[in-house]
Amino acid sequence: MTSPGTLAVATRGLRKSYGSRLALDGLDLSVPSGVVYGFLGPNGAGKTTTMRLLTGLLHPDAGSIELLGQPFRRGDRRRLFEVGALVESPSFYPYLSGRQNLRALAAAGASVSAGRIDELLELVGLRERAKDKVSGYSLGMKQRLGIAGALLSDPKLLLLDEPANGLDPAGIVAMRETLRRLAAAGKTVFVSSHLLAEVQVLADVIGIIAAGRLVREGSLEALLTDQGVVRVRVGREQADATRAALDGIAPEIAVAGGGVEVWLTVHVEPSRAAEVNRRLAEAGIYASGLEAGTDLEPLFLELTGGGASAEGTMQGIAR
Amino acid sequence: MRIFVSGLRKLVGRPASFVSVGLLVGLLGLIIIASATVAQRSESPNAGARALALVTFPGAYDLILSFMLGFGGLVAVIYGAAIAGSEWGWGTLKNAVARGESRTRYVLGTFAAIVVMVAAGLALTFVLGVGIALVGASLAGVSTAGLTDADTLARLPALAARGWFSVVEQAALGFAIATLARSQLAGIGAGIAFYFGEGFASIFLPDIIKYMPFSVARAAVDTGATGGGIGGGGLTQALAPDTALLLVAAWLVGSLVVAVGFTERAEITG
Repeated sequence: MTSPGTLAVATRGLRKSYGSRLALDGLDLSVPSGVVYGFLGPNGAGKTTTMRLLTGLLHPDAGSIELLGQPFRRGDRRRLFEVGALVESPSFYPYLSGRQNLRALAAAGASVSAGRIDELLELVGLRERAKDKVSGYSLGMKQRLGIAGALLSDPKLLLLDEPANGLDPAGIVAMRETLRRLAAAGKTVFVSSHLLAEVQVLADVIGIIAAGRLVREGSLEALLTDQGVVRVRVGREQADATRAALDGIAPEIAVAGGGVEVWLTVHVEPSRAAEVNRRLAEAGIYASGLEAGTDLEPLFLELTGGGASAEGTMQGIAR
Repeated sequence: MRIFVSGLRKLVGRPASFVSVGLLVGLLGLIIIASATVAQRSESPNAGARALALVTFPGAYDLILSFMLGFGGLVAVIYGAAIAGSEWGWGTLKNAVARGESRTRYVLGTFAAIVVMVAAGLALTFVLGVGIALVGASLAGVSTAGLTDADTLARLPALAARGWFSVVEQAALGFAIATLARSQLAGIGAGIAFYFGEGFASIFLPDIIKYMPFSVARAAVDTGATGGGIGGGGLTQALAPDTALLLVAAWLVGSLVVAVGFTERAEITG
């Protein structure tokens, strides 16, 4: 656990209800400064509620929030001058252009330096379309404009809710590079998402929330240490023989896939992929595919109680 | 100040601003041209004379003002509701709050921009209305000598100021209703319902309704030509104009207090 002095976001016992429905049930987040923090959780786990609380849109029923080392209570709105946020879907005036929308946004909150808007339009690749009305923008363009809006005041802390939403592959890569660059410059990037693969390549630290409570938090590297897998693709008729050949190498071997070929997932360190391959060769089994790596998904599903859907996801991977 | 200037920029480019003024000018133009045509072609001397009076200056000023401050009040309710409601519906209020902007300042800055737009809209409608009335006078073949009638021109500024203030109060009501509804459509619908509902209720409760926002707005600009206005209220025993003006101010302030108070306390989830 990072010491409180270096936390960009700290929540303690955060609770929030909507009527009788409890959205957050004592959330304790510790987001270190200068990292990309991946905030993961299934739908309805409380991610967006947390984002709303961190941006002053909602007020907690109980608990406390600290932003950039300072308490953030009702009335402490100036604390948000150092925070940039994109909460839920990006919101704009449809009849104004991209540039006019950013100008309107810049009129609120912290002051924005001259030339910043053009700089950001360039950064998010909207310079050419800056004069077009936002009503004509695609979802991905609105998302990029939203990210530009979040960066307006050159914030120390960036809170982004599903930032990859609607972006094309090139846009996702560009966004990822931008966010990594911001973190390298000492800023803290808090990304809420349910795209595990995206968070896995982007985040330094992750927090997993389920049913309004934090169920795991820590560096991605440490969390993935126990999540190594080697996947083997073989013909369906060879599945049993493959399982037998790998018997004893891992406590559990999962089989997934409904076609001519199946995937066997072996929970071992990725560095043992060669050993897996050797055992298969010794048994006279030649795999048509072999992958080694770490995967956040099993951990996520285990922690969030998503076991029922885990099988479906694995089958999806196999296909 | 930044919020006000930004709000003004937003409203200048907003289709609702053009549509509102266009609606006022268009309908006013139709009434004037129709009056001029009736005056020219009517076989009934009484109908012809009444129509002629509407396009003859200085009487035409009364028609223009009566229309602007009557139908203009309804347009203002809708306009105020559209602006406030869209801030919630489009999520743009959320953006400002998440940037650390004061909710109170944002609401008041936005409304201040509406106040200026209402003034500009009324001024434009008046100028275009006078221009159309001149065309109408020409069509009806009447003199336009009354255009520069000294008595009428002398009372116009005070009446225009009262009218503007009353229309602003009605815009504030729409603004507050849409804020409470957190929705553009619901705000507009409720605003229109209140507007006509008040006129209807004046049939049964005249002594109470005369203190209500739309009735006091009409009473404050009682030029002797505005009648019951579009929303009715003709059955209500109107208050004295100066008393009504005080109540207009009270309703205006009250509406803004409601809008600010609600926004300050609101949990923004949209």
